[in-house]
Amino acid sequence: MFEGLRALVEGLLTTGKEMVSKPVTYQYPEIKKPVPPRFRGRHELKRHANGLEKCIGCSLCAAACPADAIYVLPAANSDQERYSPGERYAARYEINLLRCIFCGFCEEACPTGAIVLEHDYELAYYDRRSAIITKTQLLVAPPQGEQGTPRDMPDPGNLYAAIPPIKGGVEPVNIVEMAQTQV
Amino acid sequence: MPKVTIDGKIIDVPAGTLIVEAAKPVGSHIPVFCYHPKMAPAGMCRMCLVQVGMPKMDPATKQPVVDENGQPVINWMPKLQTGCTTVVSEGMVVHTTTPQVAEARRSILEFLLTSHPLDCPVCDKGGECPLQDHTLHYGPGNTRFYVESKFHNDKAVPLSPLIMLDRERCIQCGRCVRFQDEIAGEPSLGLADRGRGLEVTTFDDPPFNSNFSGNTIDICPVGALTSRDFRFTARVFELNDYPSVCQQCAVGCNVYLGTRDNLIRRVTPRQNEAVNEVWLCDKGRLEHHYAHSPERVTTPMIRAESDLTPVSWYEALNFVANRIRPTLGESGKSMAGLAGDRLANEDLYLFQKLFREILGSNNLDHRFGWSQWNAGDALVKNFGAGVGTNLGELGKGVTALLLGADPQTEQPVLRLRLSKITRQGATLVVANGRATKLAQYASHKTIYRYGAEAYFVLGLVRAMIDAGLHKSDKANGATEYSAALNLTVAECAAKAEVSADTLKTIGETFAASENGIILFGREFMYAMQRDPAVEAALNALLILSGHFGRKNNGVIALYPRSNSMGALDMGMTPTDGGMPASEMLTKAKLLYVMGADPARENPAFKNPGFMIVQDLFMTATAQKADVVFPASAWAERDGTFTNTERRVQYFARALEPLGQARPDWAIIQELAQQLGAKWTYASAGDVMNEIAQRIPTYAKMTHARLQVNARRRASVQTVGGDAAEPVQMALGELIGVVSGAQWATFSETNADAKFDVKFVQPADSAQATAGVYLAVTRALLDCGALAQYSEIIQTRVPDASVEINSHDAEAWEIANGARVRITFESKPPRALELPARVDGSVPPGVVAVANNLDGTMNLPMGAQVQVTQVQVSQAIAD
Ligand code: SF4
Ligand code: SF4
Ligand code: SF4
Ligand code: SF4
Ligand code: FES
Repeated sequence: MFEGLRALVEGLLTTGKEMVSKPVTYQYPEIKKPVPPRFRGRHELKRHANGLEKCIGCSLCAAACPADAIYVLPAANSDQERYSPGERYAARYEINLLRCIFCGFCEEACPTGAIVLEHDYELAYYDRRSAIITKTQLLVAPPQGEQGTPRDMPDPGNLYAAIPPIKGGVEPVNIVEMAQTQV
Repeated sequence: MPKVTIDGKIIDVPAGTLIVEAAKPVGSHIPVFCYHPKMAPAGMCRMCLVQVGMPKMDPATKQPVVDENGQPVINWMPKLQTGCTTVVSEGMVVHTTTPQVAEARRSILEFLLTSHPLDCPVCDKGGECPLQDHTLHYGPGNTRFYVESKFHNDKAVPLSPLIMLDRERCIQCGRCVRFQDEIAGEPSLGLADRGRGLEVTTFDDPPFNSNFSGNTIDICPVGALTSRDFRFTARVFELNDYPSVCQQCAVGCNVYLGTRDNLIRRVTPRQNEAVNEVWLCDKGRLEHHYAHSPERVTTPMIRAESDLTPVSWYEALNFVANRIRPTLGESGKSMAGLAGDRLANEDLYLFQKLFREILGSNNLDHRFGWSQWNAGDALVKNFGAGVGTNLGELGKGVTALLLGADPQTEQPVLRLRLSKITRQGATLVVANGRATKLAQYASHKTIYRYGAEAYFVLGLVRAMIDAGLHKSDKANGATEYSAALNLTVAECAAKAEVSADTLKTIGETFAASENGIILFGREFMYAMQRDPAVEAALNALLILSGHFGRKNNGVIALYPRSNSMGALDMGMTPTDGGMPASEMLTKAKLLYVMGADPARENPAFKNPGFMIVQDLFMTATAQKADVVFPASAWAERDGTFTNTERRVQYFARALEPLGQARPDWAIIQELAQQLGAKWTYASAGDVMNEIAQRIPTYAKMTHARLQVNARRRASVQTVGGDAAEPVQMALGELIGVVSGAQWATFSETNADAKFDVKFVQPADSAQATAGVYLAVTRALLDCGALAQYSEIIQTRVPDASVEINSHDAEAWEIANGARVRITFESKPPRALELPARVDGSVPPGVVAVANNLDGTMNLPMGAQVQVTQVQVSQAIAD
């Protein structure tokens, strides 16, 4: 009989403890759980501080993608209609989120830091087609006060020279300094 | 054969071999940039440095000094040597992997990269770039230079409408310049300035005006020269490279069709040492755009009331079958089939089978328009150049006689290959009625009088007999022949307006040569059609010289289209009294036109009653048709072409068909089934199997056999893996790859056969005597049936002009560039007004006009006009 009583008390104690402790569940979607900084959610195509697109349409992300989820169709920039620094930009950029396994390889392959897996994880769709997100959906808005793309602008230079100092952000790896420290 | 030791492995190589070449068989990889196996070494980049030593010789005994172990003592050269310019010699020892060599490679690469932009991510060469690959294998892993301190130069400099130059990426290897000089023979590029400022430039007007310019893209070891057509449409590792065969001329160059998103993005050469080596002409590289032209016909159409209306395949086929069915049997004779010889063997075979077996008609032809000269197939069947003949490798002991041909514009890559044979020791004789590009390379060149071809050849025969060099062991009636040949060399020479000595030299050289090949072109075929004496004379020259039945001997007919040879082999000519093309256009009641456009060349052409047109486009003929069947482009199906050297080659399917287009063979099969035939070919391969059974020369030529060495190129290369194929191609390696199969000629399969020689008296044709003769030539880049749908080709099509000799121009008071009106006899008489070009390519008394350009498209072609007299009547100076 003692055995049974003990079990009952233990059980009630647990119940009581849980009643007063903080719940682990979130009232999603009203409340959203913050994600860790390196969380890999939906991709974004970033821009330089001057508003130009970072993506140069090189397809390296598509080549690195193990799920074959990325499609890039490049085209040539012109000074009158410039999207990105240099000669080439992505005219079309699509990611099939049903295929994507969020491994982040594209991010790692990207030579310009254009594609970044961000924090949006609300990726549900009513049909398969809308799971293929396009460049318009991926591209972030230009920084405040900067023009979007395309725009009339001479070539700011090659890939690296085209990266202007970032206002108040983390500096991109400066390969000049890198070279200096190795000498 | 010198014995050399490379990385400890001993190998015998022929004398004169370069170290880079000797290292290949032992598996030592020596990286190169400027060296290309198809070109003379230049030693410009120093990438190929290796350590070289020679055995120490005892001056007294002239024997190698040996050490205590009995090994020869090596005298190492104090400095590293360039492997691409050093020729091996007996006892040479080469090290390719020592730390010294590795350091040299690293330094060279570091040096090249100091001024290289490293924009691999946006560079069209990225993924198949030797500089990338070598850097990965041998280069430094990091840089000691600041990015800002890099040298900068012009990017995206358009060299021509086809080629973009990036001066920053150029590593100054000079390959492009050397290709244009040495191989293309069109020195359009040069190197200007010095040091790092050295720049590739073009001094042509229009810029970089070469028919072979695209090859410089392939051989440029970096992304300095890129294709403006392919520019930024895909990364090379995203392409699916399907093995195919160029459809634009009878050379049949092997290509890869690089596709992405069901579009051909670029065409690159596929190595075939027996056909195109590693080259292509610009036409073959760019004409493919027609395959996805928005102008393509994509649905079947039938003429309801007065307009062509789209219908379903079922309706269209039914419509035709209902029309034909009641007349089956009795009036098959009034049905005729005209098929273009750019179609595959499978299509042409089924087409003639449909006519011969189902419709009961022999009215079949392919000789129309540009192909209407196709002649000489009997010669080819008997004496075609022996199996194994490789025109690019002709050397000592071979005489090649080129008659009435202009391969520069009609078989461009063949011209490239023939222009090197004199350097290899062969004798090249070029004879035509006008000067051609290839004549520059000839050992003997001569210009005969148009219309006197028979005399020219008979002169050669006479010279051979006079010198006692003829052979009669395989001839019937040789003695009678030489008796009947009642012309002296001098008489023939006078008729042909060449010097008797030239005729004698050529005749004797050809006969005395160990091997002899005769190539005759379109202009010669025209003569053959006009006068049977021409073919008879050629027949006699072949039989009496004994140059047939073995490798490097025999005759090659240089036909105009990709499958002219196949059309002749498949039986696409009228037999047993069938109507030839010229007749069927007016006499047939029902005409089935497949891949041909008679109305374009002859605007007076009318629908003969009921006409079926099967084509890719709404051609002038299709607009007059009762039924239009949309056919798929060559890239949308597989099949085989037989090139002008009788090589049967397989091309794979690279694209999905556009709209409802279907392969030609499949359309013919469906129609035959509607008419009650029990045909069950599931694929083009099935048709080819039947061809292999029914046509003896094609025995065993199944797709499976022809596919050997014609495989798809892997689209994703192992990065940094063993030298990937595109890189090898860029470096010109993979030497020795051959695919396709040549059919054996009668004289090869019947070694004991004897052949009749008969003398035929040449007819003194009007051209041989009349005043001015109009020679119809071709331009390579043209407004042809398919080329007109390739915009990039259209940017380079020359303006039509009439070539006039400077003497004539003076006599007629015509300045270069002035507009000239030429009237020529034809039915009805016609006139042309064109600017004159006085550049010495035609002899006096001849004017030449290319008939495939804007404004000259319906110039009568050869045999249509009996006498072509030209008066230059009016000259308005510009
Ligand atoms: S996102 Fe980056 S890797 Fe992908 S195409 Fe753009 S620049 Fe290249
Ligand atoms: S040439 Fe080669 S190394 Fe240079 S940018 Fe292009 S891909 Fe990179
Ligand atoms: S353009 Fe290319 S092929 Fe020509 S010199 Fe420069 S690197 Fe060599
Ligand atoms: S030579 Fe003829 S077959 Fe070769 S690429 Fe040119 S057009 Fe095509
Ligand atoms: S110097 Fe030998 S490959 Fe360039």
